[in-house]
Amino acid sequence: MSLLPKKGFWDRLLWTWRPQTDREAGEAVVANFLLHWFPNRVTLKSLAVRYSLYLGTVLMVLFGILTLTGVVLMFLYVPSVERAYWGIKDLDYAVSFGWFLRRVHRISAHLMVAAVFLHMFRVFLTGSYKKGSAVGSNRPFNWVLGVVLLILTLFLSFTGYLLPWDQLAFWAITVGTNIAASVPLVGEQIREFLLGGTLVGQNTLIRFYVLHVVFLPLALFGVAIWHMWRIRKDGGLAVVEQLRDENRETAPEPPEKTKTWSVLGIASGASVTVMDPSTIREEDAVPSSPFLTTRLVAVTAVTLIVVMLLSIFVAAPLEQPANPEVTPNPAKAPWYFLGLQELVGYSALIGGVVIPGIVLLGLALIPYLDREQRRIGYWFTDKPGKRWGAIGALWGLLWTVGCLAFGIRFPMRSLFPNIESQLFFDLINPASLLLLSFVILYFLVLKITSSTRTAAIATFCAFIVAFILLTWTGTMLRGPNWEFFWPWQPWPTHPIPF
Amino acid sequence: MNEVKPENSESRRGFLRKLTGWLLGVGVVVGSWPLLRALIPNVHYEPPKRFKVGMPEAFTPGVHFLDEHRLFLFRKDNAFHAVSGVCTHLGCTVKFSPFNQDKEMTVRKFTYLSAGEFHCACHGSRFHDEGTNFAGPAPRPLKWFQLELSPEDGQLVVDVAQEVDRDFRLVV
Ligand code: HEM
Ligand code: FES
Repeated sequence: MSLLPKKGFWDRLLWTWRPQTDREAGEAVVANFLLHWFPNRVTLKSLAVRYSLYLGTVLMVLFGILTLTGVVLMFLYVPSVERAYWGIKDLDYAVSFGWFLRRVHRISAHLMVAAVFLHMFRVFLTGSYKKGSAVGSNRPFNWVLGVVLLILTLFLSFTGYLLPWDQLAFWAITVGTNIAASVPLVGEQIREFLLGGTLVGQNTLIRFYVLHVVFLPLALFGVAIWHMWRIRKDGGLAVVEQLRDENRETAPEPPEKTKTWSVLGIASGASVTVMDPSTIREEDAVPSSPFLTTRLVAVTAVTLIVVMLLSIFVAAPLEQPANPEVTPNPAKAPWYFLGLQELVGYSALIGGVVIPGIVLLGLALIPYLDREQRRIGYWFTDKPGKRWGAIGALWGLLWTVGCLAFGIRFPMRSLFPNIESQLFFDLINPASLLLLSFVILYFLVLKITSSTRTAAIATFCAFIVAFILLTWTGTMLRGPNWEFFWPWQPWPTHPIPF
Repeated sequence: MNEVKPENSESRRGFLRKLTGWLLGVGVVVGSWPLLRALIPNVHYEPPKRFKVGMPEAFTPGVHFLDEHRLFLFRKDNAFHAVSGVCTHLGCTVKFSPFNQDKEMTVRKFTYLSAGEFHCACHGSRFHDEGTNFAGPAPRPLKWFQLELSPEDGQLVVDVAQEVDRDFRLVV
């Protein structure tokens, strides 16, 4: 790849320096503190948008935007129950660009939660949690770091949700922390520790504030740095394994031992070329600077533009000030928890504790349960992977719709009006049924294909579909009293009178 | 020969390393205990659990929602009782939805004249007005609270720290 100098006006404006040779580009990376982040050369494959979708980069940019706007917001917000709400009102109406700051911060937070899920989906579907053949690679561990980042992102968003201290905030946190209280035995203690008391109040606000502005961002920053450093330790993005596979295929058979090989290994006069398929060929890679750096700048710019545009057109909501005496109807958690709230509607224990616990544990264990090492870095691995992915998605669709319809048409308590045992309803309900269907799917596919990767793809696709459907139902189809409404059915306008 | 044998120095170094490790571990636990314990409050600056709600005559027969206390006060003739308005599922405030006409009902072997139902907005739990959950995810009946008359001024006193049975009535 040649690095021709460009001398037009734009080039001068945008580039203070342009490497003239590969060597110069490499030295720049070594000599520069910031560029040290990058390897000297990157493969063309790992630069492809089609593979990574650059979602990890988008996440880092969003985190940067959140930090920047968040620091400014800290100067304008007071975490006290008397003043928090009015501080936010002032942002909307009295502070220059306060509305914009608020919107940018809020939109970025929502996008970050969405992007963290999408990034996880792409890493899973391309099989990029697998170790591969690079020396010192431990991608499974980086996936675990990723799960930690997912949890931290959700917690950051959840703690920030309370800060406006309006009805939306207050009740979302009331419902959310009561989910924690349904943990057997220690639930009530956990809730009190989170709240700093028995009610959502000043203690809760200051706790969430400190977590939101100090503890969680620092933790997320630290783990994210570790996460990205690991990518280099793991020998680059997993897609590089494709090159190694190709090299292995095209590599000539190891030379047969002939008389030219002496006891010392090589007879004089014979020339040796190292045929190690794990080394990346020169022609498959380009210097990181400028090929990677320009792409990162472009992704940053696109992310910034999208956030700005959305912030101009989408308002940040602010409801009535928090009022512990009146529950809004319907009371909903933030959207990314509405799938859970839907399940919590069947059983707080199953939906709020067992299923999220199993999902998080299952996610963290994926790379250790599926250790197959073939075709790393390909979307859906191979043909059967694609087929079983589609079947899994269909399975997820049918079971989720089925369980939802069942739960709506035949509430468990009216099916079994004479049973009083809570344990019965905690064990037997649409949420546990859905969980069971996923377990069945996994072992069914494993039995048929005897491939952990294919079984994992099917189950994961079913999970994605269920997650989207449940979230959509909780967000769009649940009205007053958490009753079911089609999108075209109007909600009753008169609240049920007291 | 008082030369230290290699194995000996090895085991001594191993011991020192272990000791350092243990000291560090214990130090971290001991050191973080006050940090964490300080975050569990000993004193709650929260509304009292026992409070006056007004003179009995101030409540007409029927159901009254005392919003600042999140509880329902029932009066029938001269008998009073108090039912919690906090949903036993995840803590939203329930709403009372009255019947057009009182109905005689038997719930869990308890026969009484029912005036309506409680509905919870968050996940659609429903309760009979004697507290029993009959629909939705709520795992337990609504609580009933102790009611008394204040000896000082005759006001009704609710004690939310003390639960009572469904047949509790305060007759004044
Ligand atoms: C705040 C959250 C996160 C940040 C900032 C982040 C950042 C990144 C970046 C910049 C990359 C490089 C490739 C790309 O852009 O796609 C990456 C790759 C990766 N991420 Fe994340 N990530 C986050 C969350 C997660 C989560 C939730 C998971 C999975 C549970 C995960 C697992 C991985 C793995 C295994 C790779 C290597 C992929 C490969 O080799 O192709 N990350 N991450
Ligand atoms: S809080 Fe009442 S139904 Fe969930």
